Amino acid sequence: MSRLTIWIILGATLTFLIGPFLIVIFAGMSAGEALAFPPQGLSLKWYAKVFTVESFQASFALSMFLAVFGTIAALLIGIPAAYALNRYDLPGSETIRTIVAAPIIVPGIIVGLALLRYFVVPLNVTITMALFVTHTALVLPYAVRVVSSSLNNLRADMEEAAVILGCTRLQAFTKVVLPNIRGGILAAFILGFVTSFNEVPASLFLSGPGVRTLPIDMLSYMEITFDPSVAALSALLAFMSVAIVFIAERLLGFSRYV
Amino acid sequence: MFLNRSEGLALALPAALFTFLVFLMPVGILLSVAFQTDTGAWSLQGYIDFFSQPLNQTVFFRTLKLGILVAGTSAVIGYLAAFCIVNLPTTSRGRIFGLVVLPLMISPVARTYAWIVILGRTGIVNDVIVGLGLSDTPIRLLFTETAVFIGLLQLFLPLMIISLVSSMENIPKDVVPAARVLGASWFQVFFRVILPLTKEGLVIGGTLVFTGALTAYITPAILGGSKVLMLETLLYQKVNVSNDFVSASVIAMILIVMCFSANLVLKRIASVKR
Repeated sequence: MSRLTIWIILGATLTFLIGPFLIVIFAGMSAGEALAFPPQGLSLKWYAKVFTVESFQASFALSMFLAVFGTIAALLIGIPAAYALNRYDLPGSETIRTIVAAPIIVPGIIVGLALLRYFVVPLNVTITMALFVTHTALVLPYAVRVVSSSLNNLRADMEEAAVILGCTRLQAFTKVVLPNIRGGILAAFILGFVTSFNEVPASLFLSGPGVRTLPIDMLSYMEITFDPSVAALSALLAFMSVAIVFIAERLLGFSRYV
Repeated sequence: MFLNRSEGLALALPAALFTFLVFLMPVGILLSVAFQTDTGAWSLQGYIDFFSQPLNQTVFFRTLKLGILVAGTSAVIGYLAAFCIVNLPTTSRGRIFGLVVLPLMISPVARTYAWIVILGRTGIVNDVIVGLGLSDTPIRLLFTETAVFIGLLQLFLPLMIISLVSSMENIPKDVVPAARVLGASWFQVFFRVILPLTKEGLVIGGTLVFTGALTAYITPAILGGSKVLMLETLLYQKVNVSNDFVSASVIAMILIVMCFSANLVLKRIASVKR
């Protein structure tokens, strides 16, 4: 294939993948009242307006809370599990792996409905708590997988050496293992954060009046209103995700772990 | 490898127990609902009722059709794009690959919203159509199967390209030129050389795209609405509009079975075709 053909094919593919998104960024810069492209005059008023919408503020705070603490909770139970699956000869380790990975395989909307009917309602759990538990479960498979792969790259004899030289097992973990898998843990955190923050289907049934995650709030906002503020907000969120991943890639070579 | 098994189990238990209690059990109960009548007896009546309704049949076949179409189309585009990417010089290869991965970091709501701007009544496509005089009034492009197809394709194409690129990188550099020198047409090169060597990537990508398209909620909700229902949006309607939990349970089972069988079938194809 000639260079020209290659660049035509790649150009067309990337236009299809990224082009629509550039349009959203510009549609959000409109000075007019209705969503249109090309925008009717340029202004940043919709980008500014996004910050003043009260429901967006509340749902952004909730999404942030879920993404940060849901991922931390997933790591707190995921790191020991990944460690056990990697370093111990466990009976039924395949079963444990399958159980822990299950939340990725089952479609999110089913998870949300099942939790609502057979966990939230019978146990009378609050909406925030229900969302927290769901996001933890959804992030857990990523946490276990990413931490596992970084444990795989760390030779087990280093811990054995530490133990022989007088460390307790706990010390060997905190002094030898943890510093060495720090990058993997951070990568798992970022992946979990982005996954949780963008999650919709599982949160759909669990979100109640007044308690909504940001993407769901955006969905219901765009059903009622047809102004460019969702375009502006979409663009801002995309910048946030891309910036996080970009910085992570620069700092620790994020893609090695994912 | 440590031999103290109870210690290992104690470490793995919290995660396994948590997933089991808040995830597997509720999902299991939900799936069992459709197999029981009001009196608690086991029966398949819920499934029979579900499939006897024409709307449900339409939605089922539409979901299957769109899943296959999206997976097939992304395989075609994916092969072209992946072949181009692996033939780039190393530096630009990394950059282009980064641009392919980039959309995956962006919220699906934002990515799908873009198509409203493009396909809406006052969107770009309609501006062009009316501007060129092809039609006096804007055409309805949103809430059509085509719109859902385009949205799903854009959402999942990166997964296919990534899988194909990583399996094409393992093909030795001179294999394709060798086949060409020996007289193979591009058609033969693809089916006799590239396809057999990359079928694993195709299977992984195909499974990801197919199951992704089947289980996507946002895209059919925004671009299809209630005019073009797919199984996921139908499930949402059954629960929130008609309070029909038996149908919801049937749909949940169908989706899970479709995802798992897609995995199995594609794995089988990969190991048979040589």
